[in-house]
Amino acid sequence: MLSVKHLSIVYDRVRPAVPAAMDISLSLAPGESLGIIGESGCGKTTLALGLMGLLREADIQGQVCFQGRDLNTLAPARRRRYQWRHMAMVFQNSLEVFNPVISLGEQLAEPLRTHLGMDRQAARRRVSAMLELTGLDPVWQDSYAHQLSGGMRQRALIAMALGCSPDLLIVDEPTTSLDPESRTAILNLIETLKREMGFALILISHNLPAVQQLTTRLMTLYAGRVVETGMTADILRNPLHPYTRGLINAAPDFFPYKDLWGIPGAPPRPGGTTGCAFAPRCCQSDDRCRQSLPPLTHVGVERQVACHKGGIETVLQAVGLSKTYRSGRRTIQALAGVSLSVRRGEVAALVGPSGSGKSTLAHILVSVLAADAGEIRFRGRTIVNHDATAAMGGIQIVFQDPAEAVSHRFSVLEAVREPLDILGWQDRSRRDAKAAAALAAMHLPTGPDFLGRTCHALSGGQRQRVAIARALVTDPALLVADEITAMLDPSTQAVILRELKAQQQARGFSMLFITHDIHLARKTADRVYVLEGGRLAAQGAVFEILAANDDNRTHPLPRVAMENE
Amino acid sequence: MTALSIAYGSRRWRFRLTGTLSTGGQIGLIFLMTLLLLAAAAPLVCPHSPQKTSGPALAPPGAEHWMGTDDLGVDVWAQVCFGARVSLVVGMGTALLAGLGGALAGILAGYRGGWVDGVLMRLIDILLVLPDLPVMIVLAAFFGPSVWTIIGVLSAFAWVFTARIVRARVLSLKQRRFIQAAETYGAGTFYLIRRHFLPEIFPLVTVSMIRLAGRAIVAEAGLSFLGLGDPTSRSWGFILHHALSFPGIYYTAFWKWWLLFPWLALTLVVLALALIGKDLEKVADPRMRSH
Repeated sequence: MLSVKHLSIVYDRVRPAVPAAMDISLSLAPGESLGIIGESGCGKTTLALGLMGLLREADIQGQVCFQGRDLNTLAPARRRRYQWRHMAMVFQNSLEVFNPVISLGEQLAEPLRTHLGMDRQAARRRVSAMLELTGLDPVWQDSYAHQLSGGMRQRALIAMALGCSPDLLIVDEPTTSLDPESRTAILNLIETLKREMGFALILISHNLPAVQQLTTRLMTLYAGRVVETGMTADILRNPLHPYTRGLINAAPDFFPYKDLWGIPGAPPRPGGTTGCAFAPRCCQSDDRCRQSLPPLTHVGVERQVACHKGGIETVLQAVGLSKTYRSGRRTIQALAGVSLSVRRGEVAALVGPSGSGKSTLAHILVSVLAADAGEIRFRGRTIVNHDATAAMGGIQIVFQDPAEAVSHRFSVLEAVREPLDILGWQDRSRRDAKAAAALAAMHLPTGPDFLGRTCHALSGGQRQRVAIARALVTDPALLVADEITAMLDPSTQAVILRELKAQQQARGFSMLFITHDIHLARKTADRVYVLEGGRLAAQGAVFEILAANDDNRTHPLPRVAMENE
Repeated sequence: MTALSIAYGSRRWRFRLTGTLSTGGQIGLIFLMTLLLLAAAAPLVCPHSPQKTSGPALAPPGAEHWMGTDDLGVDVWAQVCFGARVSLVVGMGTALLAGLGGALAGILAGYRGGWVDGVLMRLIDILLVLPDLPVMIVLAAFFGPSVWTIIGVLSAFAWVFTARIVRARVLSLKQRRFIQAAETYGAGTFYLIRRHFLPEIFPLVTVSMIRLAGRAIVAEAGLSFLGLGDPTSRSWGFILHHALSFPGIYYTAFWKWWLLFPWLALTLVVLALALIGKDLEKVADPRMRSH
C-alpha cells in the first residue's frame, strides 16, 4: 500500500542546508502498523510531514508510492486532494494545532466539506459521530480549543484525522504531556479504532510502551537515517543496534527500578559526518565506523541493522562451564554447564543465593580458577591462560573483599599502577599519570599525600574505590564485579555503585555485576542471569525476569527475593 | 632506641618493622651493637696482639691484661675481641646464607608446588631427621678446617627451618586475592617473589635469621672446640679448645680466667640474639602484636 524508496528530505532554505532524513525506505501493507522511534531531532516528524507532502521549504528526493501512485510526482494541489481522503495525520498535541478563534466543530467539519463535498448539516452529523467514536461528548464541538483539556484535545485531533476514513493514519506523539490515565485511554482508543476501521498505522513516539502496544513493526531513526528495523517485540526484547538499546535502556517504563541513564552525548546535526553518525556515542565504534557509513543490512528475516559490527558485539561468551570441587570423598558441583554471554556496553547481572556458584563463575571468567569443562571466548577468541586479563582493554575483576584485593603493603599509587607495571605499559611517568587519572575517575584524591599512603591505612570504601580504579586502569572491555559492595555500608555502596555506573556510562565497557541482592540488580542491570545450584535458572531482560512483586510468576526469583528479605 | 626500622633496597622499597622492643630486647640490642663495634675496631681497642706473647703466661686479669693471658702469655682480651669477628662472621654468614637460601627454597616450594615442592620437602624431612652434629663433624673434617667450610656446613643444615616457615606462609599467601589479581595481570614468578612474597615474608625471615645466627655461633664454637675449626682464625670455640687441651691447666690457679671470658662472650651473644629474636617475633606475627 505504502512504499517509500530512498526518500531524502533536505531543508535547503536554511544555510547550511539540513538533511533531516536520508535514504529512508519502508513499506507498509494495508492494516499494518509501524512504529518509528528515535531521540528528538532525529527526523521522525520530518519523515511524517514528508510522507504527507506538507513540507514546502524542503528539497525532497526519492519515491513515495501510495496505492500505486508516486505522490512526489503529483502537483501539490492534486496530491493534497488525493491524499487527504486516504492518508491522515494526527499532529503532535498542542494548542497551536487548532485555530483559537474558530470553534472545534467548524474546524473538524472543514475537511469533510472540502474533500468529501458534504453540506453543513451532514458534516456536523459526521463530526458528532466522530467525536462520539473518540469518546468525546459532541457538545464540545461548539467550544474552542483552549477550553479543552490535553486529553480531550488529543481525542479531537484523532477525530479530525479519522473524519475521512483514511487508509493510513500517521500519529505523531499521541501521548506526550498526558497523564498516565489519559495516556492509556488514548492508546486504547487508537487500538480500538484501528481494529474497527482497519487503517494502517504509522506511530511516531518515544514512548516505548505505546509503540509496544500499537505496532507490530518498528524502525529506529538516528540523525535522519534508519539504523534498525524489525518486529517490535523482537527489537524491544533484543535490540541489535547500540542506539536502539540505549533508547530502551533509558526508558523507565521498561526499567522502573533502574537508575536513569541516557545515551551519553547528544544527537549530531544530521549529515555532519561521512561515517556512522552514532559512532561518537557508541561503545563499540572504531576507525571504520568513523570513516564509512554502515549500510542497512539484513541480519534476520525481518531484521535489518545499520552497523559495521552487525549489531551489538558479544564481548564475552562462556559455553558449558562446569566446575566440581573435591574435598575428601565429597564432591560439590559448583557449576554444571553454565553458558552466558555479555554484550558490548551492557550491564548484565548475575544473581543467585550464596553458594549458587556465582563467585566460582566469576573466578573462572578471569582465569583465577580453571574450569573442568567448557570454553570462554572473549571478543571471539578462546581465552588461553591469562591472555584476556593480562592485556589492555581486556577483562578485569573487582573482588568482594576490598581488604584482600589490594596488597596492604602497597601505596595507593603502586596498587593502582601494578597492572600497568606488570603489563609493561609505556613508561613510568605515563603509568603514574594513568593511575592518577583512574583514581580521579573514582573520586579519590590524587595528591602526593594520598598516592603515597599505604593501602592498609584506607577505609573499606576507599580501598574498594582503589580496587575499582585499579581494575579500570587498563581500560577493560569487560569488568566483572563480584559482590563489590557486600562488605560496605548502604551509603558507601550507593555512592560507589553510582560512580562505577558513571564510569561505565562514560567509557562504555561491559559489566558483569554479580550480586545476591536482586534490588541492586534491578537498580543497575540491563539483563540478568539467575544462577541456582550451579545452573542457570533464568535469563533475560531485567524487566522480564526481575518483575517486582509479581506473585503469579513461576520464576525461581521470588525464592531468591525471600532469602534476601 | 625504642623503635627498630629495617630498611633495605631503594627508598621506595622501604619496609618498616616498627615495634617497641622490651627492656630485654633493648639490652640485647645494645650488647650486640657494642660487640659489633668491638669486633670491628679490635685493633684499636686492644693494646696487645692476639697472636704474639705480650706478657707473662697465665696472668690473672689486671691493668695490663684486662682478661689475663694464656699459656703463651698472649692477651685474652685481644683474643676475645678478635674472636668475636670470627663468631659474628660465622653467625651472620650462616644466617644470611641459610636465611636467604631457605626463603628462596620455601617460596619456590610453596608457590610452584608440584614436583619442586615434593623434592624440596623430602630433602627438608631428611635433613631434619639427620643428626646434624655427627654429619657436620664429618663434613668439616672432609672439607678441611676453614671459616667458609663452617659457614657452608652450618647453612646446609640450617636453611630447612627458614624454608619450612616460608613455605607455609607462601602457601597461604598464594590464596590471597591480591596475589591472584597480580596473576591475572600476567605477573610471573619473579615479579611475585620480588614485589609480593619477599616483602610479606621478610619479617618471618628476619626472625628466623636471628635464631639461626645464635645457633650458628654455638655450633661453630662446638666444632672449633672439637678441633674442627679454623686454626688460623681464633674463634671463641677455638680459645676454649686451646685452653682445655693445655695439659697443665688444672695445676694453675688462673686457668678459670682463660675459660671464663670466651664462655661469657659466647653465652651473652646467644642470649642477646634470643632476646632480640623474641621481640621481633612479636612484630612479625600479627596475632602477637596486640599483646
